[in-house]
Amino acid sequence: MPVRETFWNIPHWAEIAQYILALLTAVVFVYGVTRRILRVRQGQSEKRTGHFWARIWSLVVQVLGQKRTLGELYPGLMHFTIFWGMLVLAIGTALATVDWDITLLFFGFQFLTGWVYIIFELTLDILGLLVITGLGMAIYRRYVIRPARLQNFPLKTLPRDDVYVLAMLAFIAISGYLTEGLRLAVTQPDWGVWSPIGGVIAAAFLALGDPNNQTLHLIVWGLHIASAFIILGSLPFTKLFHIFSVPLNIYFRSLQPAGALPAARTEGGMGVKEWKQFTWKQLLDFESCTRCGRCQDVCPAYLSSQLLSPRNMMIKLDAHLWEKDGRALHGDIIAPEEIWACTTCRACAQVCPAFIEHLASIVDMRRHLVDQGQMDATLQTALMNLGRYGNSFGQSERMRAKWTASLQPAVKDARHEPVEYLWFVGDYASYSPTLTEVTRKAADVFHKAGLNFGILFDAERNAGNDVRRVGEEGIFEMLAGKNMQALGKCKFETIVTTDPHTYNTLKNEYSWNGNGRPRILHYTELLDKLIVSGQLKFSKKLDYKVTYHDPCYLGRYNGVYDAPRRLIRATGCELAEMPRHGERAFCCGAGGGRIWMEEKPGRERPSEIRVREAAALEGVQAFVVACPKDVTMFRDAVKTTGNESRLQVKDLIELVHEAL
Amino acid sequence: MKIAVPIKFVPDLVEELTIDPNGTALDTSWLRLIINEFDDHAVEQAILLKERGGGEVTVVAAEAEGVDDFLYTAAAKGADHLIKLTGDFGSGMNSHAAARALADLLKDSKPDLILTGVQAHNDLDGAVGPLLAELLDMPYVGYVAGVSSTNDKAIARKEYPGGIIAEMEIKLPAVLGIQAAEQPPRYVAYNRIRQVMGTSKIEERTITALDLSGGVTASRMFQPESSQRATILEGSPEEVADQMVGILKELGML
Repeated sequence: MPVRETFWNIPHWAEIAQYILALLTAVVFVYGVTRRILRVRQGQSEKRTGHFWARIWSLVVQVLGQKRTLGELYPGLMHFTIFWGMLVLAIGTALATVDWDITLLFFGFQFLTGWVYIIFELTLDILGLLVITGLGMAIYRRYVIRPARLQNFPLKTLPRDDVYVLAMLAFIAISGYLTEGLRLAVTQPDWGVWSPIGGVIAAAFLALGDPNNQTLHLIVWGLHIASAFIILGSLPFTKLFHIFSVPLNIYFRSLQPAGALPAARTEGGMGVKEWKQFTWKQLLDFESCTRCGRCQDVCPAYLSSQLLSPRNMMIKLDAHLWEKDGRALHGDIIAPEEIWACTTCRACAQVCPAFIEHLASIVDMRRHLVDQGQMDATLQTALMNLGRYGNSFGQSERMRAKWTASLQPAVKDARHEPVEYLWFVGDYASYSPTLTEVTRKAADVFHKAGLNFGILFDAERNAGNDVRRVGEEGIFEMLAGKNMQALGKCKFETIVTTDPHTYNTLKNEYSWNGNGRPRILHYTELLDKLIVSGQLKFSKKLDYKVTYHDPCYLGRYNGVYDAPRRLIRATGCELAEMPRHGERAFCCGAGGGRIWMEEKPGRERPSEIRVREAAALEGVQAFVVACPKDVTMFRDAVKTTGNESRLQVKDLIELVHEAL
Repeated sequence: MKIAVPIKFVPDLVEELTIDPNGTALDTSWLRLIINEFDDHAVEQAILLKERGGGEVTVVAAEAEGVDDFLYTAAAKGADHLIKLTGDFGSGMNSHAAARALADLLKDSKPDLILTGVQAHNDLDGAVGPLLAELLDMPYVGYVAGVSSTNDKAIARKEYPGGIIAEMEIKLPAVLGIQAAEQPPRYVAYNRIRQVMGTSKIEERTITALDLSGGVTASRMFQPESSQRATILEGSPEEVADQMVGILKELGML
C-alpha cells in the first residue's frame, strides 16, 4: 500500500537535529512576530471590530480569492500561483507533520496512506511546479522587465530583502524536488508515477548512473530543511511578514463609506506629530506594505513629478517605526511637500492589494501641520477666507447668490418657503465668474424639469469637504455646524448638489441627527431619475462624440458611475471611454485642497496628463465633466496643452441644457 | 519686556461701501469690520519679539463686532493679556480720542514698547502712534518693518524708497508704527482659538468719555466720480506717435 516514507534515508541524529532546528525557528519566529505586535500596539486605539462575517468574507475574497491582486494580470497571476502553491505546500507539510508526529506517534496510525496519499503526492508535486512558475515570473519581472515601480526604493537595504525572499523560496522549491527525485530514484515505489515531476528528476538521476547515491540525498535534504527553517524563522523580519500583516489588515479594514474620513484625534495636539499618535490600524497599514508600487503607478501627484509617492511614504513610515536614531517624523522622514502634494483622489487606496488606507494617515499629518500653521501662503489665505466668510473666494456671503440675479422665474429661497429639492450650490458654482453661466443653465434645467427647488442664498457655506482634507478640522466643524443650522430651518425632502465634493461630505460626514439623513443626490443622479420617470424629456438629439471624466468624489468615493453615463447617452451623444475610467479614473489634481495651494512646477500637471489622454481618443469633440472644479481645471489644461480647438470642456449640465 | 499692541478694526472691503444719508460718513448698517492689516502685523511683530527675548504682550482693542475673536486669535498666537475698551463710541472714534484713551490706560501699565499699525485704510493720517508717543512722552518711529530689542534699546528697520534700509536705535520705552512684521501674520488653527477661548480672559476697561478734539471732520464723503474714459491709440508705433502729438497739440501742451 502506498505510504509516505517519512524520514527515508535520514539517520536518527539528523531527525533529532531537525526537531531542534524547528524549536529554534519557532523561538525566533515568535520573537519576531511578538516584536511586530508590540510595535503596532503602541498606536492609539481605534475601533475596527464588528461585522464579523463581512470581515471574514473580505478575507475569502481578497486573501483566498486574491481579487485586488488579480486586478493586474501579470503580477496578479504571478502572486496567485506563488500564494496558492506555497499555501498548499505549507498545508501539505503540516499534514505530514500531523501524520508522523501526532497520529503515528501517539495513536499508532497514519492517514497519509493509500489513495489519500496518492492525491497528497500528486497535488504537492504539481503545486510545487506552480510555485516555481510564479517565482520564475517574479524573478523575470523584477530583474529583467524591471518595472519602474519596483525601482528606487527610499531604503537601500530593501533590494536585498527582495533577493533574499525570491532566492530562498526558489531554493526551497527546487531542493524539495531534488530530495524527492533522489529518493524515488532509489526506492522506485509503484506509486512513483503519481509524483510526475519527482519522477522526471528521478529518471534524470538514474540516467546519470549511480542510483544509490544516498549521501547526496541526505545533503540535499539537509539543505532543503535548513533553508525552509531559515525562511520561516526570518519571516517576521522580511517582507514575507505580509503573509500575516496583510490578512489582518484586510480583516480590520474600514467598513465605513470611503468618503467618511476618520475624525481628528486631539490627544497630545491635533493630528499626528509623532508616530505613536497614529492609531494601531495605521501602524498595521505601514507594516502591511509590500512595496508593490501599484499606488505609485496611479498617483496623480507622483505622475506629475511631485515629491509624493504613496509607496515611498508607506516604506518610510514603516522603517521609521523601528528607528532608534531619534529622527523626527515631520521633516526628517516625511517632507511637508509630500504631505501637501496629495489630491486625496483615493486611487492609491483603491488599488492597494493590502487595503492600506493612505489618506487617513496623510490627513492626520496635515492636521499637525495646520495646527502648527505650516502651510503655503495661498492655502493660508483660503483657510482664513473660509473661516471668516465661509467661502474660499474671500467674498461676502451676500454675493453667494449673485448668479441668480435676473433669472426668470426667480430661484426660490428655501429659507422662506418649503421646497422639494434643496439645491446646495457650492462655492465654485456660486462664486467663480467663469462658472456662473453653467450654474445658471443648471437652474434653467431644474425649472424646465418642473422641479420645486430652492437654495439657501447667503446662509449656505462651503460644505467643508476639502477643508477637512486639508486638515483644518476646526473650520470644517464650524462650517458644517452653520450649514446644519441653516438646513435645519428649511423644509425640504432631498438635497441636490452641483459639486461632488459637497455631495461627499454632506452624505458621508455630516452628523444628521433627529430625522436622520435626508436623501442626497448629485445632480447627475437626480436628472437620471427624472429621465427614467419621464419627467425630463429632451427635444433635441445631440450628435457629439464625447468622453466622460469621472470626478473622484462622485466615482471612486461614492460609486456613482452609471447615472452620468446614462445621462450622456440620453442626450444623444456618443460616449467614448478614456483608458482610465470608472474606478480607475485619473484625478484632475484639484482635490483635497490642492486647488487652494501653490503649484510646484512639475513635468506635467495631472489635468494636462488627463486632457492628453482624452485627446488621444479618435474623434472626441467634448470632454464632459460633472464637477465645477473640473471645469476650471480642464478648461485651463486644454489651453496649456494646445487642445483648445480640438476638445471642448463641458459640464454635463450644459449637454442636458442643449438637448432640452 | 512688556509690549503693548493697540489695534483697531476697519471696514472690510469685501462688502460694498455705502455712504450714509448725511453724506459725511460710511453707512454703518451694512458695514462688516476686519482687523486693520498693519495692526495684524504689529501683533505678529510683538509675538516674534516675545518668542525671541521673552516678555509679555498685551493687545488692546476698542469694542467692535468681531474684536473678541481677534483677541482670542492673538492669545492663541501667544499674547498674554487681552484688553477690550468699552464705552459709548456711537459718536465716532478718531485718532486723537483713541490716543488719549490708550495713553490713560498705558500710563499705568508702563510698557517698554508700544507697537501699533502705522496706518489704517479708513484713516490714513497715521496719527495714533505719534499722538500716543507725545502723550506718553516717548520717542516714535513709523513705517517700521522689523524690530529687534535688548533691555533698554530697540533697533527698528525702516525701508526707504530706492531699496535703502535704515536701522535706527531707539531708547525704550518707545512707540513704533509697524508697516510690516518680519514674517506674514501666522496662521492659527481654529481649534487653537477655541481652546484659548476657554482659558484666556478678555479684560474690559470702560472708557467713560471720549475726547474727540483735535481731529478733522469730514465735510463731504462721496464715491469717486467717474471722469472721461481713456482713449486707446491704435496702429503702428509711428501712427500712435503721430496721434499722440496731435492730441497734445489739441490740448495746447505742445
